Amino acid sequence: MSGFRLPTGGRVDRSRPVRFSFDGVSYTGFAGDTLASALLANGVMLFGRSFKYHRPRGLLAAGSEEPNALVSVDRGPGRFTPNLRATNVEVHEGLKAVSQNRWPSLKTDFGAINDRLGMFFPAGFYNKTFMWPRSFWDKLYEPAIRKIAGLGDAPTEDDPDQYAATHAHCDLLIIGAGPAGIDAALEAAGTNRRVTVIDEQDEAGGSALADPSLWQWLERSMKALNDAPNVTILTRTTAFGYYHDNFIGAVQRLTDHLPDDGDAPREKLWRIRAGEVILAQGAIERPLVFAGNDTPGVMLSSAAKTFANRYGVAVGKSVALMATHDSGWHDVFALAKAGVGIAAIIDVRDTVDADLLKQAADLRITVKLSHSVIGVSGRYGVKTIEIAHNDGTGIRSIACDALLMAGGWTPSVHLWSHSKGTLKWCDDIGAYVPDQPNENVRCVGACAGACNFGQGAVIDVLPTPMDQSRIKAFVDFQNDVTAKDIKLAVREGFRSIEHIKRYTTNGMATDQGKTSNLNGLQIASTALAKPITDIGLTTFRPPYTPQTFGALAGHAKGALFQATRTTNIDSWAEEHSAVFELVAQWRRARYFPKAGEDMHAAVNRECVAVRSSVGIFDASTLGKIEVVGPDAAEFLNRMYTNPWKALEPGRCRYGLLLKEDGFITDDGVSARLAPDRFHLTTTTGGAARVLNMMEDYLQTEWPDLNVWLTSTTEQYAVIALQGPNARKLLEPLVEGIDLSAEAFPHMAIREGAICGIPTRLFRVSFTGELGFEINVPTAYGRALWERIMAEGDRYDITPYGTETMHVLRAEKGFIIVGQDTDGTVTPYDASLDWAVGKKKLDFVGKRSLARPDIVAAGRKQLVGLLTDDPNVVLEEGAQIVADPNQPIPMKMIGHVTSSYWSATLGRSIAMALVAGGQDKMGETLHIPMPGKTHTAKISGMVFYDPQGARLNV
Amino acid sequence: MSDLLTRAEPVPTAPFAADGVTISLAPPMARYSLRARQGQALETLLGVKVPKKIGATEGGIACLGPDEWLMRAPAGTSIPMAAGLAIAVTDVSERSICLCVEGPRAAQLIMSGCPQDLELFPVGKATRTIFETVEIILIRNSNDQFHIEVWRSFSSWLWTALTTTASH
Repeated sequence: MSGFRLPTGGRVDRSRPVRFSFDGVSYTGFAGDTLASALLANGVMLFGRSFKYHRPRGLLAAGSEEPNALVSVDRGPGRFTPNLRATNVEVHEGLKAVSQNRWPSLKTDFGAINDRLGMFFPAGFYNKTFMWPRSFWDKLYEPAIRKIAGLGDAPTEDDPDQYAATHAHCDLLIIGAGPAGIDAALEAAGTNRRVTVIDEQDEAGGSALADPSLWQWLERSMKALNDAPNVTILTRTTAFGYYHDNFIGAVQRLTDHLPDDGDAPREKLWRIRAGEVILAQGAIERPLVFAGNDTPGVMLSSAAKTFANRYGVAVGKSVALMATHDSGWHDVFALAKAGVGIAAIIDVRDTVDADLLKQAADLRITVKLSHSVIGVSGRYGVKTIEIAHNDGTGIRSIACDALLMAGGWTPSVHLWSHSKGTLKWCDDIGAYVPDQPNENVRCVGACAGACNFGQGAVIDVLPTPMDQSRIKAFVDFQNDVTAKDIKLAVREGFRSIEHIKRYTTNGMATDQGKTSNLNGLQIASTALAKPITDIGLTTFRPPYTPQTFGALAGHAKGALFQATRTTNIDSWAEEHSAVFELVAQWRRARYFPKAGEDMHAAVNRECVAVRSSVGIFDASTLGKIEVVGPDAAEFLNRMYTNPWKALEPGRCRYGLLLKEDGFITDDGVSARLAPDRFHLTTTTGGAARVLNMMEDYLQTEWPDLNVWLTSTTEQYAVIALQGPNARKLLEPLVEGIDLSAEAFPHMAIREGAICGIPTRLFRVSFTGELGFEINVPTAYGRALWERIMAEGDRYDITPYGTETMHVLRAEKGFIIVGQDTDGTVTPYDASLDWAVGKKKLDFVGKRSLARPDIVAAGRKQLVGLLTDDPNVVLEEGAQIVADPNQPIPMKMIGHVTSSYWSATLGRSIAMALVAGGQDKMGETLHIPMPGKTHTAKISGMVFYDPQGARLNV
Repeated sequence: MSDLLTRAEPVPTAPFAADGVTISLAPPMARYSLRARQGQALETLLGVKVPKKIGATEGGIACLGPDEWLMRAPAGTSIPMAAGLAIAVTDVSERSICLCVEGPRAAQLIMSGCPQDLELFPVGKATRTIFETVEIILIRNSNDQFHIEVWRSFSSWLWTALTTTASH
């Protein structure tokens, strides 16, 4: 309890107090505070518990690199956000924040037992301990570990928030609005380039916000940029990823900082394409590695300066500095001038710049060169520190309530690395800096390594007279990785930093090692006695900081998650209680239950209606491709397995499409409208795939053909009329087409009009009954459907859905590509030999049909299956065995692909893929299903009207 | 059959208005997909000038690709079907609908889901592109007015996406 609000200073608005709560306790801060600065001002030092050992933790940093102070913010039902950095949460009236990873409370945490047992939890502990028995993993280890080790609770309710998204373009994107970024923006402001500047903080300025001497410059500069018409400035916006061709993903936080956000979008995803990118991400101060460096109150020296100068908050009443770098001295001088008491400056170096010593003397600050901190006492906050001379002598205590660490600076090369720019090692600052770019990008300021913070020494672990294997000197604060864990990894044989990282989890937390990577590298380098550049470097990957799923999803939630395609007739189906199913992206009516009917009853009724009178079906979703040009027939002849050149205009043909491997990929009935014009149909789900495949062949294999493909799927609404009364119903509605059997035979097409609307009328059947498919311009689909329903009343016309369509076609043995085929079925396997042109010189897939495996005996072939008990409807997907008495696992010889109750036949029917099935007609097979193994006999696939007498009428 | 069938449209026929932008369904029109190896062949067939540069529009005809044009004309317009020629004319009048997006915020609204750089998208340009996952043809009629051609079955999704975003 030692932080406090300084009487003056900072950029917070002291005239606007705000009340907020942390773990149920009410506090007051000022507008402009973060949760971290406001709590510090209230004397709070304890912010969280560590991941593995549950050690009490305070603030390490003041920015987005903060690894310790992770909190959850509760904005009401469904609006619970875990794992936010307290240093990035802006306080507002009514903010409710809670701590994480502790039970029952932050101060009293039972999980802290892990800390006492720490010697039993070395690196790789989980890997080594929870290996066996394997069966314990799912039920015991995984849930238990998940409960005790971890971060905040994941939200369980639907997120009620809205999220926005946009694309944006600019000629120059500047990421980071610190002094270097602002300078770059000012330079570009006078040009005609479109400039966008983004910064993750609530206010532009970066490190200048913590330096009052720059505030006038900052104000002037921001005014100039705000006035420049070619400059857009986005604050509260995090560039989280840098992708190919200068494509940058960024999330702008719109409402989380407001007390009442109404229903405005919470966050906005920016997808930015930039001509040039300037990275001005700055640098992050490195912690020092020594025993007790994770005690609440031990923090980065630059953070203390930020809290004092930007927020007007002192981190302690008596503050000590442990430095290996000059920058800490300057920070401490700034603190002293702001009125913070300085206990001592301890520096591991033997000499420092004389000017620093003089300034310290002028401020009457005790200085200890060639010394290091070797211990910190105080569990929930620093009370005293122990220091020793680097030779191990002169151990003494210094009373203080905060200890600052100045370990030098690490340039933030995260986005540079995303863009695949190379890095080079810089001995002077002990860090990697950008080298060769891979995109049109450059780095400026501290992230380029051009920081002017003074000199420093690079030290892996501070000298200590204590046994290094017994102290907890933390490297990765968030993942609880200590220096001895890294040394242990090296002892156990790990050599590459990639392996050391994964074994120790150093740098694998949500902060991606922003404060730990370089220290980890240094320690591994010393332990391996190899230069850092020989150990390798781990790769930064997006996101730079954690982002919400909501922001990444953008608009794509609820009704906008994915387009549900509907036909012109869909609204009628909905009004008539259809039950729907999704087929690819389409929503299709599956059946039309009447009051009290289940699916079984509705489908039986619909099937009988089609077979006895007439049914009406919305077939609009069938894919359609118009193939036009002098070479249209030649093209189709090369694509399909069967011959197309001799097809007369006005006639239709079933087309079977293979891939190059000889396996069936699609089928459909197509019509020749004119010598140079075909109307193709494809399966509903295959439409786009077939068009792409045909376009691919046309453009790459046969560019000489004069033929063009146009998708016409959505040009036509298609109404199928099927049943013995179909012609009688249609006749009075159609103009200009003779519907008689002689003039308009099965598998023909005629053009004319229906109810005054132009139509392409197909005489085709997927049911085995007399049938027509009426194509009309889409907008008239519903009106025509209603007219036919009215006219069909006298025939008890019955609308039917996809389920009935499936049963009717199965009764006739018509296959559905993708249900009865699975990408390994040839035309021969599917008994479609008749659809393969034996005399054709070539077609797509022809050569593959001669491969030895394709012509070998024993392939799985499509056959009919009739259960011995006619009332048993097999499960689709059920496996088939020859002998049910063999030991498990049995040899499976096939599976059921289609299975239905046939009301027409009064029994069940099924289709199946069975090894060598076509040679096993009449044989009995066994189908084990839950509860019972059923028997069935192999049959042909045509169960109804095998002569086709009902078609040709 | 004297009483003609009525059209059913997939989006509301009443315009949607939000701050700085309106979205409305354009009246039905005739649309033809025109394919040929050279624009010259189409000029001979149709007797009108055809744009040769991809993205250009002229007299309601947009050049969408090296061998692809889209012709939009008043409803009922019919053109020769080029029988026997190395030209493909396909009627796609009802394949899509056209949404008219108009107002000072029109470009900003479209860029919410479309990756095109509309600040550099000249008046008169037409291109096939996407809005999020849905394919569209985008035509700029004036600085503040765009036509979006979208296939019918995707149009209610697009309508919802545009109107939701516009009201943000």
